[in-house]
Amino acid sequence: MLSKPTSDQMIIGIARDLREQVLPHLTDQPAVVVMGMIDQILRNLSVRVANEIEWMHREVAAIAAVAGRDPGSPQSLQLQHVVEWYGSVSRWLSAGIEAAYATGDQAEINKWRALIEARSAHEQAIMGSLDLVGRG
Amino acid sequence: MNNPDEMPARIAAFLAEQEPEWRDIEVVAYEVMTGGYSRLLGKAHVRHAEGEEVLVLRGDPPPGRALVDTDRAQEFEVITTVSDHGVRTPRTRYFDDAGQHLGTRALVIEFTASDSFLAYASSGGSLEGLNIKLADALASYHRLPVALLPARLERPADWNTYIGHRIDEWRRTADAHVEDLPILRYVAAWLDAHRPPEVPLTLIHGDLQSANLMLAPDGHFEILDWELASIGDPREDIGYFKAVAQIAPPDLLDDAGVMGFCDRYRELTGLNEAQVNPVTVAYFLILGVVGTVRRLLEGGAAYSRDENTLLASLFNLNSVVFGSGVWIDASKQLEPILAAMKGAM
Repeated sequence: MLSKPTSDQMIIGIARDLREQVLPHLTDQPAVVVMGMIDQILRNLSVRVANEIEWMHREVAAIAAVAGRDPGSPQSLQLQHVVEWYGSVSRWLSAGIEAAYATGDQAEINKWRALIEARSAHEQAIMGSLDLVGRG
Repeated sequence: MNNPDEMPARIAAFLAEQEPEWRDIEVVAYEVMTGGYSRLLGKAHVRHAEGEEVLVLRGDPPPGRALVDTDRAQEFEVITTVSDHGVRTPRTRYFDDAGQHLGTRALVIEFTASDSFLAYASSGGSLEGLNIKLADALASYHRLPVALLPARLERPADWNTYIGHRIDEWRRTADAHVEDLPILRYVAAWLDAHRPPEVPLTLIHGDLQSANLMLAPDGHFEILDWELASIGDPREDIGYFKAVAQIAPPDLLDDAGVMGFCDRYRELTGLNEAQVNPVTVAYFLILGVVGTVRRLLEGGAAYSRDENTLLASLFNLNSVVFGSGVWIDASKQLEPILAAMKGAM
């Protein structure tokens, strides 16, 4: 398969062309809003496709370490299989953070919260900066 | 409502039925408006032998195109009630309940010539004293006796039941989603562990943000868009305002503005300092957004299940991501303050 230009490069290139070549010619306001949304979604996607498999593996390893459980491996590196595997291990994180608050043990809370923060950091990196196009 | 060729005739026919004494009704201009994600909006300039009117139409999108489902009849009744009791908001004029005239179920309200607050702020308008005006605006409808409110608004049994239900909404939202959401579980656990003092339940706006505020020439705010109004904890509106301001500044409740806001709000509502203070504002910055978070995630889940194809469903997930960072930061910052307050009691 042709691997270059990479998927993230192509997506960001499409976003740039839409922004620079199509958007200036739009006069219909709802269409301008839609184009602004598409631009942001494509920029998010370019970061996500480049990193999501790696980030999900990293998060799973960290959750498993805190939970003291063996997460196994995904059936394959196909995105759908990795997402299913990640989802099943994410349930350990949900259960862990709720259990920590139920006991009130601050050390446990801090341990699980660090995993929540790591997940949020990945989500923020995908989002980049947020512009609420079309509001106000 | 998005068809400017068809709407003038529809509006003229509708008004002829609503206002039989008007003669020679003509819709001289009609434009589709943007400004919200959830409803169709249009502005009509109407001329007739007795005068001129500028009206705003708010209608339901076609089936399958609505980001959130809300009730136009309830919205009509809420706006009518609050405007009848002195709350500054454009007054309702008509309601096409069946949508037979305007093409979709729609309410018609007066156009306000006041400035959009966001436009005013982004053009460098002075924000001095607007934290106090915000307190005035919120208190104006938070003070209304619940008995005056439309019967179709659900009355919660009591504050504890209500707030527990709102906290559990984070868990229910996580349960209903297409994948596990540990951040929402964290938020629910944290909120439960740090419940604030009780207050009387009141009318709440449900989407009180800068985009729904207009600034009148006399410096007071007018409030728009009551479709998410309900009866709840009034501090939810305060926290929600601050939450959205993190994404869409200005934040009138920042470090410089929040104390003045709280002082004025307590003065107008009779609530005490334990009930309304910067810490409870920050608590409700988290809790107050749960309804919006649920609706946004429902849109994303529906997209994932191929039940909708709305671009906005994807786009709006970024607001949830942005919020996640804010909730986590706020919870960490508040924890030592709450612990100190608990120790002092």
